[in-house]
Amino acid sequence: MRFGGTYRELMAGAALAACLAAPAAQAQQLAQADVQQLTLEQLANVEITSVSKSPQSLSTAAAAAYVITHDDVIRSGATSVPEILRLAPNLEVMQSSPSAYQIAARGFNGNSAAQNFPNKLLVLIDGRSVYTPLFSGVYWDMQNVLPEDVDRIEVVSGPGGTLWGANAVNGVINIITRKASDTPGGSVTVGAGDQYSSAALQYGGSFAENLDYRVYFKDFYQRAFNGAGGTNAHDGWSAPQGGFRLDWTAGQDAVTLQGDVYGGAEGQFGLPNQLIGGANMTVHWQHPLDEDSSLQVLGYYDETRRTVVNGGGFTLHTWDLEVQHNFKLGSWNSIVWGVGDRIYQYNIADRAAPDTSLLWKPGRRTLNLANVFAEDSIPLGDALQLTMGLKLENDPYSGISPMPSGRLSWQVAPDHMVWGAISRAVRSPTPFDTDVVEKLGTVTFLTGDRNFLPEQVTAYELGYRGQIFNRVSLSISAFENVYENLKDIEPTPVTFTPLRWANTLEGNVHGVEVWASFQATDWWRLSAGVNVQHMDLNFTSGASKLLGTTQAGDDPHHQASLRSSMNILDGVTFDADFRYVGTLPDPRVPEYVELNSRLGWKISDTLSLSLSGFNLLHGHHQEYPGADQIRRSVYLETRLRF
Amino acid sequence: MRILLAGAVLGWLAVFVPARADTALEYAVKAAYLPKFVPFITWPDAAFASPTQPVTICVLGNDPFGAKLEESASAARSGERAIAVRRLTAPDPNAVCQLLFLSGDAAIAEGTLDAMKGKPVVTVTDSGLKAHGVISFLIEANHVRFDIDDAAAAQDGLVISSKLLGLAHAVKQRGQP
Repeated sequence: MRFGGTYRELMAGAALAACLAAPAAQAQQLAQADVQQLTLEQLANVEITSVSKSPQSLSTAAAAAYVITHDDVIRSGATSVPEILRLAPNLEVMQSSPSAYQIAARGFNGNSAAQNFPNKLLVLIDGRSVYTPLFSGVYWDMQNVLPEDVDRIEVVSGPGGTLWGANAVNGVINIITRKASDTPGGSVTVGAGDQYSSAALQYGGSFAENLDYRVYFKDFYQRAFNGAGGTNAHDGWSAPQGGFRLDWTAGQDAVTLQGDVYGGAEGQFGLPNQLIGGANMTVHWQHPLDEDSSLQVLGYYDETRRTVVNGGGFTLHTWDLEVQHNFKLGSWNSIVWGVGDRIYQYNIADRAAPDTSLLWKPGRRTLNLANVFAEDSIPLGDALQLTMGLKLENDPYSGISPMPSGRLSWQVAPDHMVWGAISRAVRSPTPFDTDVVEKLGTVTFLTGDRNFLPEQVTAYELGYRGQIFNRVSLSISAFENVYENLKDIEPTPVTFTPLRWANTLEGNVHGVEVWASFQATDWWRLSAGVNVQHMDLNFTSGASKLLGTTQAGDDPHHQASLRSSMNILDGVTFDADFRYVGTLPDPRVPEYVELNSRLGWKISDTLSLSLSGFNLLHGHHQEYPGADQIRRSVYLETRLRF
Repeated sequence: MRILLAGAVLGWLAVFVPARADTALEYAVKAAYLPKFVPFITWPDAAFASPTQPVTICVLGNDPFGAKLEESASAARSGERAIAVRRLTAPDPNAVCQLLFLSGDAAIAEGTLDAMKGKPVVTVTDSGLKAHGVISFLIEANHVRFDIDDAAAAQDGLVISSKLLGLAHAVKQRGQP
């Protein structure tokens, strides 16, 4: 039984679990001797805070947080956000076509045959939430950032519901771009390869003292892969994008205004191109009130459009406003609290055809998602830190959901921290869960459920992070996630069809994530990551068990990565990233090992050259059931600064 | 809800527990900064007994650095001079210090700053202190930055190079009130 066909065009994609490679978090390494090597300019750029919305060192954050640094991004040679995310050892990244990826943390990478898509991550680009409210997944083909403008990407596996809120069920991916003042001057980047070619232009400068800007434009073309059957899938794509960023500091106040506009066309076998497009604008204002307190305001507008075939497609407008206040109460309580409101307005055009139809009842809605949260960090003596928080989120379908969390960190010794956390998060119902009607000919074979419940997780986590033997940084995180009301498919009694979405799946997922980095010499660093997880799902009593428990996700039991980063000569770097992904159980996809590698040469301050190879070990390999065969590729890039 | 209740009880208990020192990375960065300031500062000749006498960084009272400051100081030099580190348990007007880091107790910091006025000593105040020395650390958007009071430096007979002034978050210019 394959339901995927109808939905596939709209949901753009399927792909699989992979991901590896792993330098340990920059902050952890910097906590040690490395800091001393930095220049005054570099010291000013060391991030001493993190994941948590309130100032806190990453090395003391009680969460499984991995940071992909700017250097990691550049040295990976990756040209897209999903490929960059392969550097995080706590993510599953699976490519299913040139433009489509499935990305998950701690399982639930989806199962396209059951129309289940990865939908449990919160993804932010400079504070702007980019998961789509239509089904809680991410259209990765619409999230483009110039790799050289990425400051860092914080990847937190585990719930972030309390602070970050909506949809941070299994993880948060927080993409932070560089300030305009960090990217002065112009650059022209031109690259060509057997699969991918691109050109990018960027220029930055100052309008006045304390008022910096940059503008950029990029276009690329990526060739089609072969489909699962080995014939050309005709799914090559391009997506030109331009944008700007303006950073203004006035006294203690900092204001950032940024925006992007993009379009794109993606090939589809035997069908007209799928068209994507969008625009967004974000304003962020930081205002210190006094030494110990500050106010932050974030607002954005985001528009996304996709068209498919037979008139299907959607337009989505998002308006968001968030206010956050940090302050100290007494000398020990560090409190951060805030309120936020997001309005979604969408208009979905039905895809109606004689054979299969995808209808939405209703096809247009305006949804309001509101939240209020507070978190308090309290030191308990010299070495213990307790952080407690609560978020109340009011979603349009299920009302108010409380998302509490408690985190405790224990600095056992200066370089050794043990942490634990208990937290709860929910995935709110979406139009795809409640409003969808799918037809085969004239027969309604699947409908949404107006009474669909939020999917819930209660997560128990325990971790260690520290520095051993002076040159090795290590992070170990263990988790036990208890899920309730997971989405599955139930038949109608007697008549069988229409099938409908239900919440009759539940169970536990437990696992361990380990990553380490070893500075072998001052010019050679080795990083490794391993994660193992076991999914133990079952149906609630009375469930039909129609599609089995793997409809929730076809996840590998384990994956691993090994990364070598060498500074060979002055200005010459060589990086190699091995990744291993275990077998996907059902539908089965064989395990694989692949290698990405990059040789970078900074010829002068103005000219640099790099040669990258991706998926070098095999002519092609598959990462997700029914997905394209990912081809070996090479790419040569040159960058001229002026 | 049980978690929430348990959390609330713990939180209530927690307010009776004293505060603790802050994070390791922040002070590792500050420890790296201090010796790196030195080459950009010119002291009057009278501040030193000889041309090769080390520049001494003093830490008064509460020491947030541990061994990190010695490590970063030993790796730095300023011309002919090495950089030494000295800890002071109490304010001592006769101690030989070219750079004096003040952290912790606000009253002691203010008193010390008053006592150091007009002396060729670069006072460096920690972030969070209300009183500001010639150089004052601050935390801005998760980064450790510093302000420079070049007017105070001028009164103390110190010359701070324009390069360091250029790297400061904010500078109070010479001659400014």
